[in-house]
Amino acid sequence: MDGASYQRFPKIKIREMKDDYVKFELRETDASMANALRRVMLVEVPTIAIDLVEIEVNSSVLNDEFISHRLGLIPLTSERAMNMRFSRDCDACDGDGQCEFCSVEFHLRAKCMTDQTLDVTSKDLISSDHTVVPVDFSDSAGFDSSEQRGIIIVKLRRGQELRLRAIARKGIGKDHAKWSPAATVTFMYEPEILINEDLMESLTLDEKRSFVESSPTKVFDINPHTHQVTVVDAEAYTYDEEVLKKAESMGKPGLVEICPKEDSFIFTVESTGVIKASQLVLNAIDILKRKLDAVRLSEDTVEADDQFGELGAHMRGG
Amino acid sequence: MNAPDRYERFVVPEGIKKVSYERDTKIMNAASFTIEREDHTIGNIVRMQLHRDENVLFAGYKLPHPLQYKIIVRIHTTVQSSPMQAYNQAINDLDKELDHLRNAFEAEVARHSRDY
Ligand SMILES: [Zn+2]
Repeated sequence: MDGASYQRFPKIKIREMKDDYVKFELRETDASMANALRRVMLVEVPTIAIDLVEIEVNSSVLNDEFISHRLGLIPLTSERAMNMRFSRDCDACDGDGQCEFCSVEFHLRAKCMTDQTLDVTSKDLISSDHTVVPVDFSDSAGFDSSEQRGIIIVKLRRGQELRLRAIARKGIGKDHAKWSPAATVTFMYEPEILINEDLMESLTLDEKRSFVESSPTKVFDINPHTHQVTVVDAEAYTYDEEVLKKAESMGKPGLVEICPKEDSFIFTVESTGVIKASQLVLNAIDILKRKLDAVRLSEDTVEADDQFGELGAHMRGG
Repeated sequence: MNAPDRYERFVVPEGIKKVSYERDTKIMNAASFTIEREDHTIGNIVRMQLHRDENVLFAGYKLPHPLQYKIIVRIHTTVQSSPMQAYNQAINDLDKELDHLRNAFEAEVARHSRDY
């Protein structure tokens, strides 16, 4: 007895795409799917971050755990993360979490020898794997690349020294936020705004102006020639209902009707730079698929029920 | 010092089944699925997918307590189906939807990288 399929075929349209930003439309699915993707992007797509620090020398003004915490928060390029092992299920190193399959080693050595303060930054971290390095923000953001020297970890004065070994591991945002690849992930329902033209024409020009201006964001505009009120940017609407309250107070309820399209979403995804934003979305889809696979019923559960439920199966006609 | 390990929120402990199934003793074709170490992410998509199945009379999920890392999905179906069948179908359909979504997104990324 095979059941009918109730599968959906969602549509995607990318509006804007940069390395660390993507904006796209998701249609013909429901909010549960949109929200599952959002939640997975935030806390379940794996990345690599420093997880263990062994300090050899630290004569800086910051204490050891303060520096360790700062190192953990440094974003590391994580294209490798999807194919890496979690240290806790790595059998190559027996839970030690220090082998090539589940970790990346970093070294940092810095000593200030002059009267000029020395900035120790993420660029001073020397990686054992050239694919896993601190994210370089200098070129993409358009800053003066000669000035930009990475993320400051600590400042040293003459004679002070910092020497350490750090182990970066694969992890997820659910464990600690340092592993989250997402800066922001949001989605909104696409609004559908309908103007009751007959009612709108009963307004004077001043009334139209005050109606248009009642919206905190620029959703409506007035045509300077025909004096007709039009929707210029439906998506600027933030579901604040200010225009509806305004219409009410003007004694014109139903002047505009605004309803969210319940199967259309506009997503904005911003990555921290550890992976491309578009890759983040794809990884989230893969992770969600893996999660669904993991919650399938096991063979023994099905068998146990078959034996238990002979009568039930008979009554179901199966 | 006695804080539980952070990974306890998402790693299924040894000897515990990821999904366990329990029939309702009073109602025909009703059952509960207890899913260990999952939350609203899985609970809500499975529930909503089950609602699309016309043989499903009831489908709901709950997260019993924020510190118990499991969800309970309850399904009641008509005699034409069974909770297990509906559950499997929902997961298969979601899986295929995500396959489709992945292809659609990849095609859009390719189109966008070409055009701009
Ligand atoms: Zn290992």
